[in-house]
Amino acid sequence: MVVPDALTPLPGRAGAIIDLKDVTKEYPGQSLSFRGTKLELKGPLLWARNLKHALRMTTVDSLAVSALRGVDLRIVPGEIFGLLGPNGSGKTTLIKVIAGLLRPTYGKGTVAGIPLHDTRSIRQRVSYVSTTGWMGLEWALTAEENIRFYGELCGLTRTVASIRTEEALRLVDLWEDRKKSTSGLSNGMRQRVMLARGLVLSTPIVLLDEPSVGLDPITRGQVIKTICDTLVSRGQTLILADHDAELVGSVADRVAILHQGMVQIIGAPNDLLVIVSHLRVLDIVMQSGVKTKNSPPPIIHRWDTNERPGTQALTHWRGLVEESPDALHRVLEWLCPDVRHVVEISFLTPTLQDVMGMLEEEYSYDG
Amino acid sequence: MTGNLSRRHRVAKELGTLWAFGVREYRIWQSYRANQLMWMMNIFVTTLLYFLMGRMVEAKASLLLGPAYGNNYMSFIVVGIMVNVFLYTNLADPYTRIARSYFNGTMDLFLLSPMSVYTPLLGLMTKSILDDYPRLIFVGAFGIFLFGAVFRFSDLGWVFLFSLLVLASAFGIGMISASSFYLLNIKRGTEPVRFIVQQLMATLLAGTYYPVTVLPKPLQWVACLIPHTYAFDALRRLLDPKAAMGVAVLPLQRVLPWSPLVVDGVALFVMGASFIPLGLWLYGRGIEKARREGSLTRWQ
Repeated sequence: MVVPDALTPLPGRAGAIIDLKDVTKEYPGQSLSFRGTKLELKGPLLWARNLKHALRMTTVDSLAVSALRGVDLRIVPGEIFGLLGPNGSGKTTLIKVIAGLLRPTYGKGTVAGIPLHDTRSIRQRVSYVSTTGWMGLEWALTAEENIRFYGELCGLTRTVASIRTEEALRLVDLWEDRKKSTSGLSNGMRQRVMLARGLVLSTPIVLLDEPSVGLDPITRGQVIKTICDTLVSRGQTLILADHDAELVGSVADRVAILHQGMVQIIGAPNDLLVIVSHLRVLDIVMQSGVKTKNSPPPIIHRWDTNERPGTQALTHWRGLVEESPDALHRVLEWLCPDVRHVVEISFLTPTLQDVMGMLEEEYSYDG
Repeated sequence: MTGNLSRRHRVAKELGTLWAFGVREYRIWQSYRANQLMWMMNIFVTTLLYFLMGRMVEAKASLLLGPAYGNNYMSFIVVGIMVNVFLYTNLADPYTRIARSYFNGTMDLFLLSPMSVYTPLLGLMTKSILDDYPRLIFVGAFGIFLFGAVFRFSDLGWVFLFSLLVLASAFGIGMISASSFYLLNIKRGTEPVRFIVQQLMATLLAGTYYPVTVLPKPLQWVACLIPHTYAFDALRRLLDPKAAMGVAVLPLQRVLPWSPLVVDGVALFVMGASFIPLGLWLYGRGIEKARREGSLTRWQ
């Protein structure tokens, strides 16, 4: 089920002005005009066609891995664009190509008007924050020094870097802890230091890779929302890759779901939910050790189980089932005929996570 | 921004970033207080060790120095150790810094910078300048005040010029060595360029602890292939008050009709002028290769 992005009209964000003072070349579908003193880009801020990237890592003789297998994408200025997908789906590789860290093996595209092969110019227009491996966070330096160094590394003067550092640390609520060395901060606080980097530069595009890792659910929502609001108010475009579909769905204007290096679907989160609108999530907690009989009833589209070990071991079954009056009855008849073993049952509305799951399954059957 | 920024503006930005690296490295260096103490002890012990060994063989060794390097073995070995520290920093450091940054995840950050790919590398080397260059002062001070080394400082301008040539040629080899990290994918184990030039040829053939003349003739010619040999020769002649400027020692000095110092200078210049562009080009190629293959950063 692939909805080609080219056929769907792109949403516009009123008042999105990106300071692209050095963009001198226009590409098909783009136009530049002045609004006040700012140069405005109309048309996609980023487009990519049939983008492929083969990774050949670690050793000379290792086999190439097709991390991207033909990605088509268009992102408009000021948009918050979410990238979702399971591990190994190509989210990080795509983000690294957009950030100018990797050169695509095949395909065309521009990032803020710059062709993808001009990686150095792209790096001047993109802020990239990845939480994987702490990305150069220096334990011996304070939070403030780490952020300021990042600004200076990206070409800001010391004065400007200091001002932006203060602004960024205040936004992620770390200004009071700015003098603490990074080694003295908690994991979540370090994570916020990383995220503050995304607010230091005024580049047209900001890329956040797995920003939710290590943050508690409340902080996660607050911090990501603050970052999104700040970037949107500045007219910056945010591309957000995360495995947390709820988080991405709650802030993104549009979402692309990737699987095995290909975009499976792109659309507004609510539009994507149409795929599972005829389904409900059935959540059953039951005692472990119960054996299912025969094959599952056809009303179950997909399911997964989690074991909770312990003296009272429980199994958590979560399935997407067709909405019908006898759905629960048919599921229980197959899953756990003896209802005394059932601890808890709940019906939930499907989320983007379920859309991802559905598409993944469909793709696997197709492929 | 590449198109519109003036060259001067770009250079200023690169220098600003280098300065930021310097400040960062200094802060990191400063924050490990125990490390500083170890650093001092390490300098003391290593220097002392060389001097004590030198003392043991001083009488016989002095005879081998010949008129070219005077007759003070302590002066001879002090220059040997100082130049070795200097060369080692510039030659071995680029690869080591890249490898460390790659494995601790810092390279991910540095390569995001819109600055030149060489700026982070040079910036990282400030750590070595902080760590290693002060050793030169300590080694020199030990030699002069404790072990009777004698120097003349009348040609400091030439000493400075030769030091720059030495630095340039060693840095060129250092960049060639660094390029192997990405270009040949040598990420662990022994890096071959550094091993062959510094650990093999320089230690054995260049004349850190004994003059090149004690080696068999063919090995003396092999010694002429690395900058260390010319660096030791030139700086010993310039710093030892009893050194004879006109006496040829190295095979190349005997063949060419120039004064030994001119031969040293030309050799170091040619090496610097060839190795630096080659090293920078290879390093740039390595980074581009890694960008294509995805091996630029550790975390994928």
